[in-house]
Amino acid sequence: MKNRPSLRYFSGPFKAFLGIFLLVSVLLPLLRMFANIGSVDPLAIIAGPRFKQAVIHSLTASAAATVISVALAWVFALCTLRTGMRFREILGVFGTLPMLIPSISHGMGLVFLLGANGLLTRLFNLSGSIYGLKGIVLGSVFYAFPVAFLMFSDILKYQDCSPYEAAAVLGIPRRRQFFSITLPYLRRPLVSVVFAVFTLIITDYGVPLIVGGRYATLPTLMYQEVIGLLHFGEGSVIGAFLLIPAAAAFIFDLLSRDRQSQGFVIQQTLPRKNKFRDAAALGYCLAVCFLIALPIGGFCLLVFAAKYPVDMSFSLANIERTLQMKAGRYLLNSLLIASGTAVLGTGISYALAYWTARTKGRFLKALHLISITSLAIPGLVLGLSYVLFFKGSFFYGSFAILILVNIVHFMASPYLMAYNSLGKLNIHLEEVGQTLGVGRFFVIRDVIIPQTRITILEMLSYFFVNCMMTISAVSFLAASRNRPVALLITQFETQLFFEGAAFVSVLILACNLTVKILIYLYKRKENYRDQPKRREKQRAAA
Amino acid sequence: MRVKLEARDLVHSFNRQEALHRISFEVREGEFLSILGPSGCGKTTILRILIGLIIPDSGRVFKDGRDITFLPASRRNMGIVFQNYALFQNMTVLGNVEYALKFDKEKKARSRSLAEGIIEQVGLTEHLHKKPYKLSGGQQQRVAIARTLAMNPQVILFDEPMSALDAATRLTLREELKHIQKKFQSTMIYITHDQEEAFALSDRIMVMDKGGIEQLDTPQRILAEPGTDFVRDFVLNNLLIKTKSLVKYVKVEP
Ligand SMILES: Nc1ncnc2c1ncn2[C@@H]1O[C@H](COP(=O)(O)OP(=O)(O)OP(=O)(O)O)[C@@H](O)[C@H]1O
Ligand SMILES: [Mg+2]
Repeated sequence: MKNRPSLRYFSGPFKAFLGIFLLVSVLLPLLRMFANIGSVDPLAIIAGPRFKQAVIHSLTASAAATVISVALAWVFALCTLRTGMRFREILGVFGTLPMLIPSISHGMGLVFLLGANGLLTRLFNLSGSIYGLKGIVLGSVFYAFPVAFLMFSDILKYQDCSPYEAAAVLGIPRRRQFFSITLPYLRRPLVSVVFAVFTLIITDYGVPLIVGGRYATLPTLMYQEVIGLLHFGEGSVIGAFLLIPAAAAFIFDLLSRDRQSQGFVIQQTLPRKNKFRDAAALGYCLAVCFLIALPIGGFCLLVFAAKYPVDMSFSLANIERTLQMKAGRYLLNSLLIASGTAVLGTGISYALAYWTARTKGRFLKALHLISITSLAIPGLVLGLSYVLFFKGSFFYGSFAILILVNIVHFMASPYLMAYNSLGKLNIHLEEVGQTLGVGRFFVIRDVIIPQTRITILEMLSYFFVNCMMTISAVSFLAASRNRPVALLITQFETQLFFEGAAFVSVLILACNLTVKILIYLYKRKENYRDQPKRREKQRAAA
Repeated sequence: MRVKLEARDLVHSFNRQEALHRISFEVREGEFLSILGPSGCGKTTILRILIGLIIPDSGRVFKDGRDITFLPASRRNMGIVFQNYALFQNMTVLGNVEYALKFDKEKKARSRSLAEGIIEQVGLTEHLHKKPYKLSGGQQQRVAIARTLAMNPQVILFDEPMSALDAATRLTLREELKHIQKKFQSTMIYITHDQEEAFALSDRIMVMDKGGIEQLDTPQRILAEPGTDFVRDFVLNNLLIKTKSLVKYVKVEP
């Protein structure tokens, strides 16, 4: 650092803080969990019948759900980005809607639709049980579809279309184009998406908790061991096991990211009109959106009907009853935790990203890696680690521990957002400031932050939305005082108060939707302000 | 003429790779000095040492006879202009030029009128309230120059300020730069890849290769007696090629 006199005063305490933060919030708890494995005989547990069965269940359900959701999402992404169908944008937005409700609600949604007394069950006189493998796969598809869709849209948005145009000019047939252009380009991102979706599904316990029935998966087994039986050693073994797919996905991403050569000039052209194809695409997307809307519609029906299925008249009694069970207070808890996490998490990950993206130093590469490694730690594992590490301290059972665990759990994505947009700003801004007699702090305040404000908003909303929904890490840590509202869904479900569970899901959806809409409006305002620029550029180009 | 800046025995390494080997030179007051050399020869490193963004491993930098090797960049009264402008895209042209003035206790009160005056000098008054990204590359570079000039630096450093611009803009901006130098009487050090630009602008040219100085002299003398084979190859041949390719397009009457 000797070449950077400006960092002299500023960096010491800052680095110490971030170093201690990462140590206490990530490394030590994880190590504590691994140490805990020593308290039991891990080999005996792994060889045991319950564990083996859970592994097979988890793999089966996750593989099936991954294949289905990836396929559905891929076609959906193609339809919204590579066809001329109408309503492309609005359908694309609608396709991400399920991301705003907790995975546990997806499980509930299935029960409302296809359970013994479900809407569709009654409507079509279906027989057979939704509980078990079928339910887990279906629920996971609902849960993972929007994630896969978003990842695919990103890939397609940044795919360079000019090779296709060249191919068209050269008269290369469509099928050859697919094998020579599309596949080579997509192979790595595709594997990346498959890994990510698989990890998401296999570490999720919201869906199997509700519709798993006796079909125990690794996360439900872990939950039973820890919460039900207080077998922390067994839980730790399963936790360590759950790290494997996540770690594999992470390593794959890391290896492939370096080699990916993304062109800087991205040529995007709208596909030519093709009536038949566009109509088919529209049909497909409407069908998918209808399916997505079904559980949400189901929630509303359940909430506002006086007593489903006996009395279908409109009533607010269910809401009243839910509120009497202190849903309001828990909602406040959630809002507090989510806002706290959003503000602090954004601050920390932004500072971290600033440090790794815009300064030079020896340990920054390592720090960058640690920051994105947190992506690979499933919430359940993090939760258990925190229980083991912080139990007995004043910190345990406080709001602060929930905020901390959420920050760590969700930090990687916002960190990367900040890292990318900070890296794109001109590298000389701070130096210009220095030569003009304006310190780094002021350049950050007056130049860097204003130029990345959209990213900051996205970071805030990412933290907020995910905190509102999450149940994995917090289910181990929450006490009655600081319980977030999403956990009420589990509670109501065990009390067979389904209307309450539905209402809570709708509440969470409403909060998240509000945040998303606010951000959308702000962005639109910003874009509008930049409009003249685009017009001017067009004029210049003409 | 007085010596404005002196670099004495500068040595600097990156990752144990020596980028500068004991470099010494002087810059005179009011002089326009160009640094010319192939990519990676250490031009930028010299500039960054002169302005205080890098502290050299060894060697000294003097300004007006005073040792400033360890003086922070903010207190050297020198300005720098980068190739990619490094403008504050969230501020208007006026905001960019005025920003640093507001941090200066003496100039704070007059910051607005000072900034407007400088912007007029570089001919951007009609764009006063525009954001930089709405301007052309040449105009953006003029904002960057104005921002530096506003602080009234004694020495201005340029790190390939024109390499992102098209040929025609370079020619106009080149003239303006000359004009500005006359007007503000500032000492200028100018890195360029373009031999012709160096010859057109400079009082003296410093030719560098592989972290060392090959020759430091007036354009005329470099042309007349190139100090080393490298200078002959790098400077003269390149100039010649350029001229030849120009000549091709000119119809020569017998
Ligand atoms: N921050 C750095 N870290 C490591 N090496 C560096 C750094 N900055 C410069 N170097 C190395 O030092 C040498 C001189 O670099 P410098 O930037 O001064 O060259 P330059 O003459 O300005 O080249 P160019 O014309 O390409 O800008 C090069 O070999 C470069 O790779
Ligand atoms: Mg350079």
